[in-house]
Amino acid sequence: MDFFSSMTVSSSALSAERTRMNLISSNLANASATRTPEGGPYKRKDAVFAATPMEGRFNRALDGATAQQVRKVEVTEIIEDKNPPRLQYDPSHPDANAQGYVAMPNVNVVEEMADMIGATRAYEANVTAVQAARNMALKTLEIGK
Amino acid sequence: MRIEGIFGSTIELLGKSVDLRAKNHNLIASNIANAETPNFVPKALAFDDELQSALKNNSSGQRSSAIPNQRHIPVRGVGTALQSVSGKVIETPAKTPGNDGNAVELENEMGKMAENQVLFNASVQLLTKKFDGLRTAIREGK
Repeated sequence: MDFFSSMTVSSSALSAERTRMNLISSNLANASATRTPEGGPYKRKDAVFAATPMEGRFNRALDGATAQQVRKVEVTEIIEDKNPPRLQYDPSHPDANAQGYVAMPNVNVVEEMADMIGATRAYEANVTAVQAARNMALKTLEIGK
Repeated sequence: MRIEGIFGSTIELLGKSVDLRAKNHNLIASNIANAETPNFVPKALAFDDELQSALKNNSSGQRSSAIPNQRHIPVRGVGTALQSVSGKVIETPAKTPGNDGNAVELENEMGKMAENQVLFNASVQLLTKKFDGLRTAIREGK
């Protein structure tokens, strides 16, 4: 049990939040993309977070009950939003259907912006946790100086 | 005066406190990392009461059950009540979990982390001062 395991945990969260941020950017960038390689309009993407135990540490058994409770976070899968596309009336659009409606991506820009602020704050919180661990580790080096 | 007597139980107590606060930090970091994970329940290390009672036992000279055999020669610092304090992992869910079942309150965790860090630094500072004092005594105040 050491400070480095807490840094591993925090950095796993940093990477997860960055993945989420990338997906939000992708959603915003493609908010009006009506064509995709898979066909049809772009579908909103979201990351699924899961708490996972620390692995690959041979001394885990020595760490005791506290270490067993420490969880890092991982993006287990990236899902596509199943909501139907937003229909917009625009007969002049090349992708309009017979009734003149265009299937637009199911991305809500306002929702994405709010989500982006959430991801930013979560990222900052984890940076603070890394800094705290670092300061505590450096402080212990002062014992007996 | 026995030579081990100069360290007293203060250094042992402060060392234990530093150790437990480091462990507590790992749990808090885990809570912050999972602040957006569905169905995650935050955890914390509770050790105040255990440490308090261990301190009482320690000063009255009692040995804890950590010594496997009563005929074993007790090694100083090993198997004392203080040494065996490991804290208890408790769940600290928020009163109003979100729709995804996540029970982490980020503000709460950040506050706990700041508090934990200050108390950790305080213990380290006291340890440093304690050693400084011993060093001064050994050098006869020179």
